[in-house]
Amino acid sequence: MTAVTSDATGTPRWLTPSPRNWRLALLIAVVAIPGSIWLAPGNVAFWISFVAVSAVTLAVTINAWGRYPGPLLVAPAIALLFVMNIFPLMWSFGLSFFRFRVNRQAPPRFAGLDNYEKILTDPTVWDRLQTTALVVVFTVAIQMIVGFLLALLFEKEFPGRRVLLMLVLTPMMLSFVAVGAFFRFYYEPTFGLLSQAVRLFTGEPFILLKTPAGALAGIVFADAWMWSPFVMLLVLAGLVSVPKYLYEAAEIDRASWWRKFRTITFPYIRSLLLLALLFRTIEAFKLFDIVFLITDGGPGSSTETIAVYVFRVSFQFFRTSQSSALAYFILFIVIVLTNLYLYFARQRSQEA
Amino acid sequence: MRVSLPFGGLLATTAVATMVVATGLATPAHAENVTIRMAVPDWPPTRIMKQLADEFYQAPSGNTVTLEPDFIPWPDYQNRLSASLTSGEQRYHMAVSDSQWLGQFIEGGYYKNLTDIIAADPELQAIFDDLNQNLVDAYSTYPHKTENYYGFPQMPDVLITYYREDVFCNEAEAAAFNSQYGYDLPCTPEEMNDVDWDMVRDFGEFFQRTAGDELAGATLDDDFFGIAYQAGKGYDFSSMQINAFVWQHGGNIWDETQAPTGQAEGVVNSEMSVKGFEHYLSLLEYMPPVVQTGSMDIFKVDELFRAGKVAWIIQWIGFAESAISADTSTVHDQVNFAMAPGLRKDDGSLDRTSNIGGQPFVLTTWLTETEEQEAIDFVKWWLSEETQLRFVQAGGQSGLQSVYTQPEYNTFRPWNHAFGPSLDWQKDVWHVPDFMELLIQQQEEFDKAITGQQDAKTTLDNIAEFQQELLTDSGLIE
Repeated sequence: MTAVTSDATGTPRWLTPSPRNWRLALLIAVVAIPGSIWLAPGNVAFWISFVAVSAVTLAVTINAWGRYPGPLLVAPAIALLFVMNIFPLMWSFGLSFFRFRVNRQAPPRFAGLDNYEKILTDPTVWDRLQTTALVVVFTVAIQMIVGFLLALLFEKEFPGRRVLLMLVLTPMMLSFVAVGAFFRFYYEPTFGLLSQAVRLFTGEPFILLKTPAGALAGIVFADAWMWSPFVMLLVLAGLVSVPKYLYEAAEIDRASWWRKFRTITFPYIRSLLLLALLFRTIEAFKLFDIVFLITDGGPGSSTETIAVYVFRVSFQFFRTSQSSALAYFILFIVIVLTNLYLYFARQRSQEA
Repeated sequence: MRVSLPFGGLLATTAVATMVVATGLATPAHAENVTIRMAVPDWPPTRIMKQLADEFYQAPSGNTVTLEPDFIPWPDYQNRLSASLTSGEQRYHMAVSDSQWLGQFIEGGYYKNLTDIIAADPELQAIFDDLNQNLVDAYSTYPHKTENYYGFPQMPDVLITYYREDVFCNEAEAAAFNSQYGYDLPCTPEEMNDVDWDMVRDFGEFFQRTAGDELAGATLDDDFFGIAYQAGKGYDFSSMQINAFVWQHGGNIWDETQAPTGQAEGVVNSEMSVKGFEHYLSLLEYMPPVVQTGSMDIFKVDELFRAGKVAWIIQWIGFAESAISADTSTVHDQVNFAMAPGLRKDDGSLDRTSNIGGQPFVLTTWLTETEEQEAIDFVKWWLSEETQLRFVQAGGQSGLQSVYTQPEYNTFRPWNHAFGPSLDWQKDVWHVPDFMELLIQQQEEFDKAITGQQDAKTTLDNIAEFQQELLTDSGLIE
């Protein structure tokens, strides 16, 4: 055993200086980083930590070179994921248990579950969740129906189909900001197209965004206009994958249109429909841009979705830790919704 | 193959690298070239400042000083500035900051306290003595109206009246107005300076026309409206006007100078405040229909006026240049300006108390000695009489009494005569760190009243209750 763990001089092997001795590098880093943070000024500590981390990385790489090619190839991707995603996620999760505002000098103070208690008992949060639920239900329902009907239309070959298909897909490719700004002008009662059109018939300007219901309708319409093509695209993919011979066989059996749809078409597109439903529900739940641009949550706070509220708490009120807690609460809801969908999808496919 | 570089060598390299980096960081900026990086909103007053600085500024120290502003669009400005400050990137040496953000960014440790610097510098003291006191209070002091100074005026701004001369000075319209209301329609800026809110209501009612009606001898092809002022949900786009009504009726907002004994409940929703807010709401029915959606912010008011849809508006002076420019305004040659209206008191005089606009510039806390000196020298240059006059000639405003009381001041721009006398009527909204929370809740509640969902009393009760709780939480109310 001694032959393995120490060299000729008797020093344990993990203490032998060598470029591939990552254990020693790690040990030095573990001592040097907290030490420098504690003793040296901020910018010096930063660079000492930077050099120490680089040294460990270098040692690990030299050690793995030629021996573990697989992990070495994956390592950069994992490191990037950790730095850009996992670390901030964990950091904000940790922060949600502290009292902390990023625009105050007071250091974070441990607060346990206080932030979670605060958001769960806050009537504003529940109000914003209700608004969000309304938006989700209406916009997703419309998108599914319109997207489905569009897919049925585009399934058939007809002259100009390709051009028309491209046009129908355009809204989906526009940026949220462009769509929001466009609908803002579209609904504007003095200059806006909608108001001008209605005025031809009624003689009065039409003020859609005046009432909470009108404002909600305006947002739902804009979102559905933008995302129905997405549902169409998925359903269309399902429709074209149905083998033609099944329909031919059904023709021979003189099956009705409804029966063909129910027994042949629907089973082929069901999983794609569920996928569209899942994607669109998650996205609609996080709807921010369009609401922010068209109504800014108004009139009053009647169209303020939970995403807009998180933005306010986090970047306008600067209640940093509370907004972290709120963000995790929303993540939790989305995960539960997703799992419910997947559960039902699985059950259905087992039944079938 | 074993790499033969001894580990000690790696350690030595690490140590050397660390030392090089540390020494590099400790070296001061080159003494001859100093860059002042400044966060500024993107609009004419800051663009003009950059132009003047490039053309005329010579640092008295002999250093080559370059002003490097980041022009950030107004709607994003607060978010971008706070993101930069709170991230710790220490990018800016100075910032043009809305006065209401003072508390938030001072408590965060980002804005530098200038009290000692001013006390030790007779030149700066002279500038402060020359500034209108209302500007010093609003732009510089924190806590509000104490002797702790943080900022210098970059562009002072007030709300004034913009009106269509072709409409108000038309003889046929004037005769019809007189026969309907029994007094003369104001035409000149002097006459318009004597306008109260009751007259504003009459303008609103009288000039409201639909497509096909006559206006000043021409047939209208679209609806036309008498009056407009800000009533938008975004940022502070209703509070700034509502505060004026509340103050003029003898009501008040939560008064930060009374903290911690001053209350929100009973003040914010006092009978006088409610009366003021009701008065504000009562004029909305004469405004373009977009007001009913809660999106008539200052940009919408500006757009409607420049498109020739409204006869009379209240707007910040900062927008005036675009109203008289042929490139941006369809009514550029028909516009004139006056002071904002007020509430007629028993003795016949007007109470014009209004909410101040404009911005101070501030220094950040991480400046080196050289940078700080250069920033202060730059401020002195900006607030010198010569530069201020150049700024005013280019379309800006000056808060120095020695400048805005000069007779030729009023000749530079047609609205300048309304600026000086308005300054004495200015008050400001809160500067406390909770500003944004107070503002957003209040704007939401105001929006409900503006869009007709709840009455003035309920609105102010809701606001008072929220403010009482929030401010008690943060220790500003005991």
